[in-house]
Amino acid sequence: MEREKMVVKPIGTVGLLGFGVMGAGIAQVASRAGYDVIAVDTDKSILAAGEDRVRESLVMAELRGKLSDKEAELAFLRIRPTTSIDTLSSADIVVEAVAEVKEIKLEVLATVGNVVSDDVVVVTNTSALSVTELARAVPLPGRFGGLHFFNPVPAIRLVEIVRALATTDETIDQLTKFVESLGKVSIVVKDRPGFLVNRLLMPYLNDVIQAYDEKLASAEDIDIAVELGLGYPMGPLKLLDLIGLDVHEHATCAAYESCHDPSLAPPPLLQRMVEAGYIGNKASHGFRVGQSGGEA
Amino acid sequence: MSESEVLTVGILGGGTMGVGIATVMARAGHRTIIRDLDHQRTDAGLQGVRQFIQRSVELGKLDTAESDDILRRLSGTSELGDLAGCDVVVEAIFEDVRLKAEIFGALDEICDSRTLFHTNTSTLSVTEIASGSRLPNRVVGTHYCNPAALMKLVEVVKARQTDAESYGRTVTFLRGLGKTAVTVQDSPGFIVNRFLVPFENDCVRALASGIGTVESIDSALINGLRYPMGVFRLLDVVGLDIHKAVSVSLFDKFHDRRYACPPLIDQMISSGDLGRKAGRGFYSYEDSNLFGG
Repeated sequence: MEREKMVVKPIGTVGLLGFGVMGAGIAQVASRAGYDVIAVDTDKSILAAGEDRVRESLVMAELRGKLSDKEAELAFLRIRPTTSIDTLSSADIVVEAVAEVKEIKLEVLATVGNVVSDDVVVVTNTSALSVTELARAVPLPGRFGGLHFFNPVPAIRLVEIVRALATTDETIDQLTKFVESLGKVSIVVKDRPGFLVNRLLMPYLNDVIQAYDEKLASAEDIDIAVELGLGYPMGPLKLLDLIGLDVHEHATCAAYESCHDPSLAPPPLLQRMVEAGYIGNKASHGFRVGQSGGEA
Repeated sequence: MSESEVLTVGILGGGTMGVGIATVMARAGHRTIIRDLDHQRTDAGLQGVRQFIQRSVELGKLDTAESDDILRRLSGTSELGDLAGCDVVVEAIFEDVRLKAEIFGALDEICDSRTLFHTNTSTLSVTEIASGSRLPNRVVGTHYCNPAALMKLVEVVKARQTDAESYGRTVTFLRGLGKTAVTVQDSPGFIVNRFLVPFENDCVRALASGIGTVESIDSALINGLRYPMGVFRLLDVVGLDIHKAVSVSLFDKFHDRRYACPPLIDQMISSGDLGRKAGRGFYSYEDSNLFGG
């Protein structure tokens, strides 16, 4: 009995703003690591969908033998969905993971600043926005930074800790420890477009789209060559279908607008495919799924 | 030509790639002849294949009977004329377009008109190489990945002159070797190097400009993108001098600045930090005798 109580005792409370795909992934990882999670979103149906996502993902992990029935149940129970942002006052760290729209993030962050105490670190999970600009919405920019989780959150070990211009060393230290406590690997990156991973990944994906448009090889052969020749887990065109062509276009455009580096400019075929709604797996039509690929 | 037909295959060049490709051929059941300029080089090539086969026996991947059969199929020569009976000749000599074109021209006089000419170039134009033969329609690019005996991928490159029959026979032949063939236009770098080289140079420039460190960039690729090896570790294995040669060759064709070799690579070459073979590159290698003495 005593032992069970110890297992149940959380190591802290993570406040989560936004219970979509990324929010659900972060909630799952944090609760599995032993945190209580308060998951805030705007309405009950979004919260229910987020809970379903977590439950489904935990069941899958259980089926693969990654955790026991008991552990899965415990992890699920540690997540408390709510529509009340005031409940975040008991959080030790707040992770904002709402929609990737600057105005929405600024508004949410301004609200959370009034709820949490001064010693709580607030982070944004963004891949395309300037963390330094978002920092202006919180009362204490020194205690604010970026935590860039990758999708699917439970599967990808890396988390980028983004140091905005105002982020203090102490905040970076705390975030490093927090990421470690989640069982993840962190790297500290500068607040520059695409941070590190996407800064390197996006030009490569754009190169592939352009070369495919120029009929270098078939989509399948490009993926096979990269998988077998370089040992990457997934070929670039399959990866684009998975990420979503719209998501990639949004990210590469945002980076391009900031640095005007031509390697970040969205290739015309990418733009056409997004316009046509051929955005990958979620539309059942992309480079490798559905008919005709990007031959239009 | 069927997948299982036993053929006679000539390999031009007994270097690293020639040895790997010869190993693949002999292991697949083909009579395999390694040809290099003199006996010393030919013998070194044969020795390379024997060592690989021996190692496979030690690892339990082949039994001794299989190994004996493979080695019985293997021979060497310094005479180009000895390749007269070959069904396929795979060229794996020095990466020089004129030498490659000339050697296929010389083989015109020796080989049957149905002999397939395969060139294992990684960055040169297969079309230009094919132009050295009077029957350029039977020249096909077959780019094996190093180590050729272990890597499944072969990029099949159609030159402008390659005919459909030669291409079709090549794909069948490669399938019989147990390789996975992908088809690519005769475009510099084909698929793999076309995308890898600018990516590597981007990583070097990111390092030089302070966007990341050797450790953070390699960790990002391994833990974030699940690549099997970090880019700086890979560059050290390949050798910075080799990477520069490939970059320069691709830049000459595309004139795209992302293929241009970053100044940091030049500096590292100047200071002798060529990678693992020199004991130091982006990382240092304690186990090398060349460094840290």
